[in-house]
Amino acid sequence: MTRWPRIGWKTRLSLTSWILGTVTVIFLTYQWLPIFTLGLLSFSGPTGGTTFPMNGTSFHWYQEVWRATVMNDFKPPLMRSTLLAAACSLTTIVLSVMAAQAMRGQFRGNSWFFYLMLLGIMAPGILVGFGFAIMMRILGVELSWDTTTFLVQVSWTLPFGFLTMLAVFNRFDTRVEEAALTLGASRLKTFRRITLPLVLPGVIGAGLFGFSLSYDEYARSMFTTGPDTTLPLAVMAQLDRQLTPEIYAIGTTTTLFSLIAVTLCTAGLWAMRRSTSLRRS
Amino acid sequence: MDTLTAKVDDPAAPVTVRPQLDLELRGVRKRYGDFVAVDGVSLKVEKGQFVCLLGPSGCGKTTTLRCIAGLEEPDDGGILIGGKEVTRDPPWERDIAMMFQDFALFPHMTVAKQVGFGLEMLKKPKSEIASRVKHVLKSFEIASLADRKPGSLSGGQRQRVALARAMITEPRILLLDEPIGALDYSLRETVMLELKLLQQRTGISFIWVTHDQNEAFSLGDLVVVMNHARIEQQGPPEEILQRPGTAFVAGFVQGNNVFRGRVAEIADGHVRIETPVGPFFVPFTGAAPVAGGEASFSVRAELITDAPSERHGNRVTARCTAVEYFGSVRRHIFERPDGEVLKYDQFGAHAARIAIGQTAELGWQKEDCVLHGRVQR
Repeated sequence: MTRWPRIGWKTRLSLTSWILGTVTVIFLTYQWLPIFTLGLLSFSGPTGGTTFPMNGTSFHWYQEVWRATVMNDFKPPLMRSTLLAAACSLTTIVLSVMAAQAMRGQFRGNSWFFYLMLLGIMAPGILVGFGFAIMMRILGVELSWDTTTFLVQVSWTLPFGFLTMLAVFNRFDTRVEEAALTLGASRLKTFRRITLPLVLPGVIGAGLFGFSLSYDEYARSMFTTGPDTTLPLAVMAQLDRQLTPEIYAIGTTTTLFSLIAVTLCTAGLWAMRRSTSLRRS
Repeated sequence: MDTLTAKVDDPAAPVTVRPQLDLELRGVRKRYGDFVAVDGVSLKVEKGQFVCLLGPSGCGKTTTLRCIAGLEEPDDGGILIGGKEVTRDPPWERDIAMMFQDFALFPHMTVAKQVGFGLEMLKKPKSEIASRVKHVLKSFEIASLADRKPGSLSGGQRQRVALARAMITEPRILLLDEPIGALDYSLRETVMLELKLLQQRTGISFIWVTHDQNEAFSLGDLVVVMNHARIEQQGPPEEILQRPGTAFVAGFVQGNNVFRGRVAEIADGHVRIETPVGPFFVPFTGAAPVAGGEASFSVRAELITDAPSERHGNRVTARCTAVEYFGSVRRHIFERPDGEVLKYDQFGAHAARIAIGQTAELGWQKEDCVLHGRVQR
């Protein structure tokens, strides 16, 4: 009978970590493979289709996106979606910082305020969009991507920014603010000079949430956008007409851009945290 | 609001200029819901005084400090800084600075930047701030840290930065909330001495909150003992150590033996107090206590002797349960018949006379007893 050497619990701990890590990586691969597939197929030749096997390799479909006809020109929707997402992001930042700051005041009825803020997450998107469209029709407001869509999308992105800011302020050391107050800084100056710089990573996080949630929002935009469509709506319309690798090219381009943006933001946050952490380096 | 307009607005308003006091609290009260954190605290701090607020945790000493700073608004009572009514003024309009327990440094600012923060808020010109910061950093021996951020500083360095940041505007009062509690034990003694010297040199009043009586008694010109949101006793350290005013103060201050009982008889300047341990004779001054009323008194451990003669009018017999040797004193812990402990300190240089387990008769003079003003409920 062989006696296995006893493994110490620390060794087993690291083994467990490895196993759990591997499971996560497998899941992530499952999540990312379709996107890689799309990326790969976007480089098919001019006669290529939307399924394997690939028919040659080229930048044909990227060129198609660039010099598109009026019918299937994706550039204006892309422009609109980017502007819309940026506007949603900025609005989310301002409103969520204000709302979270209000919550810190522990005012009367703040728990009601909290649930009311989260309503936007819990309500189904299609119903919100549809109801909003009906209301706008009754009020006689014309639907447009830069008015009605913007409003309804902020109702969706704001709760996420709000939750992010609440989490940030939860870990915030209020004594630092109090120190500033006793050093002669008014509340506004304290906010500008102390609070805001310290919660900036969270603020950027809230902004990123706002951008990405708005950028690919479909359900809420479906009924509330006027004749000028946003990118998700344009892509869906194109899918109805004909499926070419051109759509893949759009997907790949936008994914690449958002990856670059996220990486830059993460690197910025990391550098900021490193310079402000209270631990000894 | 200056006093002139106050008088014009309301002719009945009293003139509140009292330049001789740095700080005055008049019956300050602060409630959080049902919990009373500060209950009618009145205090006068003279120019350049070192005041220690001493008490167990939750006694209201930190809340009192925060009320002085303006970080809390009292529900009732008044606060005057330098003779000026500031009760409703925000912190940034008060002539104070505060040092927090964990220093509350700004993590995103360099040492030079945050030391200059107070001056920047006063809108001083840049060149003046720079030269003043340079000077202060040098005098606090942290000039080499000017470009570092708090994250890379040691505890002692952070303490200096926090102090420099608070002192640079030369406020009338510096409020310190357990300022050396976050430091290593080995550092505390040095820092205490430095702070005391700094206080004497600058003439700025220090209000120092602590739960450590060694800090309070060695630093304070005035020690304020607090318990359950109230001031139990205030006075110079010697007075509090030698004449504790209440049973709580006597029990809180090290080296006191507290006895509680009933006043049985009053005769020629002494009261006879019946306690579960036996009768004791205690001198009193001023108004005579009520016969039959509750009373408490204390006697210091070093005033007890283990060889009582006829001079020692108060006696108790007890069994020794432990002996602690501190070098300067040898402390004996006795078990009293009523279950509480009795401490007896023998001069450390003398040879040990009582062993653990031994029963001994202890005694002390009547005049060494201190009668307390009121019994703690």
